[in-house]
Amino acid sequence: MTQKSFLLSAEGVNKSFDGFKAINDLNFYLESGELRTVIGPNGAGKTTFLDLITGRTQADTGTIEFEGRHNLKEMSEHEIYRLGIGRKFQTPTVYTDHSVTENLILSLAGSRGVFSSLFFRLGSDQKDRIDEILKTINLTEHRDRKAGTLAHGQKQWLEIGMLLAQEAKLLLVDEPAAGMTDEETARTGELLLSLAGKHTIVVIEHDMVFVRQISQGRKVTVLHQGSVLCEGPVDSVQSDPKVIEVYLGRKHAR
Amino acid sequence: MIRACLSLVFFLALELSGAVAAGPAEVVAKAVLLEDKSEEQIALIKELDPTPELISLLTLWKEGGIFLLEGPSNTKIPVVLDPLKGTDDKQAAKLLATGLPHTDSDGKPARLIASDLNAAETDSDLRTAMKSILDLAGLAADDRSARLQAVETLGMEQDPSRLPALRGRLEKETDEEVRHTIREAIALTELKSSDPAAVVIACRTLGELGSIRSQDALKAIAKDSGPTAKAAQEALRKIELHLQAANTWGTIFRGLSLGSVLLVAALGLAVTFGLMGVINMAHGEMIAVGAYTTYVVQCIFGPGLELSPFGIHITLPSLKTSGWIYDSYFLVAIPLSFLTAALAGIALERTVIRFLYRRPLESLLATWGVSLVVQQLFRLTFGANNVQVASPRWLSGHWTFSDVSLGWNRVFVICFAAAIVAGVFLLLARTPLGLLIRAVMQNRSMAACMGVRTERVNLLTFGLGSGLAGLAGAFLSQIGNVGPSLGQSYIVDAFMTVVVGGVGSLFGTIFSALGIGMVDQSLQQILGNPVLGKILVLAGIILFLQWRPAGLFVSRSRSLEN
Amino acid sequence: MQPQPRREILIAGALALVLLVLMPALNAWVPQDSLLHVSNFTINVWGKYLAYGILAISVDLLWGYTGLLSLGQALFFSLGGYMLGMHLMLMIGKLGQYKSDLPDFLVFLGHTFLPAFWKPFYSFAFAMLMVFLLPMLLAKVFGFLAFRSRIKGVYFSILTQALTYGASLMFFRNDMLLGGNNGFTDFKFLLGADIRSAGTQRTLYICTGIALMAVYFGCRWLTRTKFGLIQRAIRDSETRVLFSGYSAANYKLFVFVVAAGIASLGGALYVTQVGIINPSEMTPDKSLEAVVWVAVGGRGTLVGPILGAVVVNALKSWATRAIPDLWLILLGSLFLGVVLFLPEGLISIPAKIRSLFTRSKPLDPQESAVSKANAPAA
Repeated sequence: MTQKSFLLSAEGVNKSFDGFKAINDLNFYLESGELRTVIGPNGAGKTTFLDLITGRTQADTGTIEFEGRHNLKEMSEHEIYRLGIGRKFQTPTVYTDHSVTENLILSLAGSRGVFSSLFFRLGSDQKDRIDEILKTINLTEHRDRKAGTLAHGQKQWLEIGMLLAQEAKLLLVDEPAAGMTDEETARTGELLLSLAGKHTIVVIEHDMVFVRQISQGRKVTVLHQGSVLCEGPVDSVQSDPKVIEVYLGRKHAR
Repeated sequence: MIRACLSLVFFLALELSGAVAAGPAEVVAKAVLLEDKSEEQIALIKELDPTPELISLLTLWKEGGIFLLEGPSNTKIPVVLDPLKGTDDKQAAKLLATGLPHTDSDGKPARLIASDLNAAETDSDLRTAMKSILDLAGLAADDRSARLQAVETLGMEQDPSRLPALRGRLEKETDEEVRHTIREAIALTELKSSDPAAVVIACRTLGELGSIRSQDALKAIAKDSGPTAKAAQEALRKIELHLQAANTWGTIFRGLSLGSVLLVAALGLAVTFGLMGVINMAHGEMIAVGAYTTYVVQCIFGPGLELSPFGIHITLPSLKTSGWIYDSYFLVAIPLSFLTAALAGIALERTVIRFLYRRPLESLLATWGVSLVVQQLFRLTFGANNVQVASPRWLSGHWTFSDVSLGWNRVFVICFAAAIVAGVFLLLARTPLGLLIRAVMQNRSMAACMGVRTERVNLLTFGLGSGLAGLAGAFLSQIGNVGPSLGQSYIVDAFMTVVVGGVGSLFGTIFSALGIGMVDQSLQQILGNPVLGKILVLAGIILFLQWRPAGLFVSRSRSLEN
Repeated sequence: MQPQPRREILIAGALALVLLVLMPALNAWVPQDSLLHVSNFTINVWGKYLAYGILAISVDLLWGYTGLLSLGQALFFSLGGYMLGMHLMLMIGKLGQYKSDLPDFLVFLGHTFLPAFWKPFYSFAFAMLMVFLLPMLLAKVFGFLAFRSRIKGVYFSILTQALTYGASLMFFRNDMLLGGNNGFTDFKFLLGADIRSAGTQRTLYICTGIALMAVYFGCRWLTRTKFGLIQRAIRDSETRVLFSGYSAANYKLFVFVVAAGIASLGGALYVTQVGIINPSEMTPDKSLEAVVWVAVGGRGTLVGPILGAVVVNALKSWATRAIPDLWLILLGSLFLGVVLFLPEGLISIPAKIRSLFTRSKPLDPQESAVSKANAPAA
């Protein structure tokens, strides 16, 4: 492919469920180090797009390439993960029965083999790394609590922490602000901004206040009916008549 | 039994005809008295017309139903006995020749014990002669199956002297199957002909008819050389083809019927497991509930039933019906099986399953506990052994078509499976209840928000699934044993059927049931071993799921978790 | 992840002392008329319970820790029994009914020489190797196929049930040359010792106890490694595990194979003490019975299964004699009751009583752990 400089490129991707076209001839390019926000009304195909990238569902046609080399279409979830693509789900999915620390241990970069897990010992630099992440996501004092007992926002942060532990090159973050208090939302925004530059991040979001907070002149992609409607800085996107039509009143909700 | 019937018929006939002179009875009586002189006996009976009366007389004789009594001054008196036995095992006797009651020395009607008497004997020559008279007479019998039987026997005799009778019958015969058999019998007899041309024609005919019966005779001819042998070989090849076709059709039929059994057994499961996501290990016991209901209904129609579960004696009344009313017990049993099983299912849902929705592994375990309890209750109530459920007469017997034998009960199972499937589809697609069921199964919370009483729908759906299992039980009682562990023998197959079909897809269940049935029967036909076939089917299913992990028909939804 | 590891080890040690040292000692050296004497029968029965305990742990390792409800454990258990049983059959020598070198059932079937696959079983070492090798190999092949196609939850249960059912059909057949529906029995010697003598039975009992301890500590170690973390992560959220980059299939396969080996070991020890093995031991119902033990004792713990196996089987021994007609009803109701009212099993009762008195902590972390295990694996 020609787009050698892109970290992720999706071209002509189609996916339908029972005749419903969830993704329709989608083209999407992401550069290394970007913090990209993807918005779109319900059913625009945002989550399905992430599913396609992470191998949870297979595209019907089209190509999805990572680092210009890896064809994600033909790989399974854990293989894609091992390339350095991490995903935070819409509803927080942490290991509820494990402690916060254990959650991070499970996410630490390193061998994923069965036998190495049998004789795994936590090294001192790994301990340091975990402490550092705990500090970043502000959960140091909760490190021994079971993740299931954390507050909603804390679970979201823990999940982001798990992506950090994984040392993912590409973080896919699905609606991080959903169900959060305003204060939690703001702190989540800060967290993502502090990561920008160091990591390449794709954020899917509804909440326009949050989008404004984190995009800050960066590129925003609008998805509609499974394909890209328009791309550009948040202000120009918001004043685009096509986008207004698609959202029709919904845009001003928040 | 046959003998008793015959003597009854004949006994009455004698009574009616009274002492009509020189009737066949009189001649036969004379013949009977000519003991040991079979040539004369044969000559006598051959003179008679093959009337039904003669036939019953000869048959009675052959079966040892004519007795010789010691008369005065070394004479002998042939008599027949009234089949009605007294309490003292004694039977009334009548004179064979006249039909009058035999009197003892006091002039009273004699009552005798059959085992004390000497039956009029027959030697092999006489029996052969009798048989040929009987067979020839059989050609003219009114009963179609009696005619068939007679033709078949005559054909196997390969006796050229029979040809005129057979040809004569062929002209009169209207029944297609009997005509087919007569032509076969004629050709079979012609094989013995001294004229090679006739033999060749006969071979050709037998080949065309696909006569399985003539294989041995043809093989004997095929060993020789010349045009007859060639014709015989050709005929054998054709018969072989015919046989293969018959086997194939037979296999298809058996596969279809096994598939229907699986379908009926799995359909209820497809509702409870497929639509509701409840793993009901007691589904097999719901089948057994249906089967036992059929048994109880049969007993009430028949001799009544005494049960003593936990030492409590329960006597179920008997309607003492017989004939067609008794035979229609099954029609009563079908809806009752559905009802009892549905009620049992509803009880199960209320007491156990409703606490375990969305916890499938636990519902599996809990319902297994239920299944153990119910099985033991069956054992305590109906005994550990299988009980006998007799098929009504209209379900026993079979229909033979071009050497493929179709049992009525199996034909019925196929039709019934089709009927239930159609019923379930109509119920789900066309009724308000069906709409509610589909709504709740697709999105429970949404339906609840719309004001649907999901609890009640769950209850009814589970009742429906269990009721279908009950229907399956009513059916299985007609083709297999009914015992406490009846359900266990179907539960694995039923689950497999649903899984292969795709959970949540009734359509898939139909396909997979028929498919598994066909494969199972074909493998049995090829391997000649039912157990091996079954094991291969199980292995095949595991491999199949490699290819389609979610079954044949995936009910794909956009919700990704679960 | 047990709350008080030291106390747990203390309890286990005390139990081991009683079962492994005290009971055999009381059996061997206390005179029969003494009150303290432990009869040969008791030793034999407890040997059976402990072998069942091993089976129960294997079920729990899959179900309680990994969320895989396998109904195939009875199959692996019986396979272990069959493998050692073959050796024991050959050791009968000419002492069988037909006074032949061949096992009686082979003579009965009209065989004049030993089938080739029987021959290596003259060696005890080979038989023991097969006790582990064959079931684990079968588990590996079946598990590979099942996990590769992402069969999970109840589908896995149904499929393992079908596997067990198919295998039992096969073993019921005479032409498998494994004794048909009578299976193997009438064993005489094990490693030269009379297998039915009190001394041998006592030794076997101790061996079973030691094996149970070894399995217990082995599993305890396993469940506390990172592997154990992943195992439970798979149980709670298999999808998430995939998105953490672990191939859940490989992990499940590993546990499945290990559990098959454990169950098989239990079966081999069982057959030496019970003296019979036949295909009725490998039906899906037997697997479910083992699941009952685990549920009754307490899944997701390692002591629970052992406790459950002993309690339920002791109850069974009593009930099948005292109220034979009602035993199955009792078993079924017990199971029903445990699933509905005591999902954490007997082992949770002390904690429940304690929480009744303290009431300070509304949410017992251990409790939420198990209730999570109840949730569907996928």
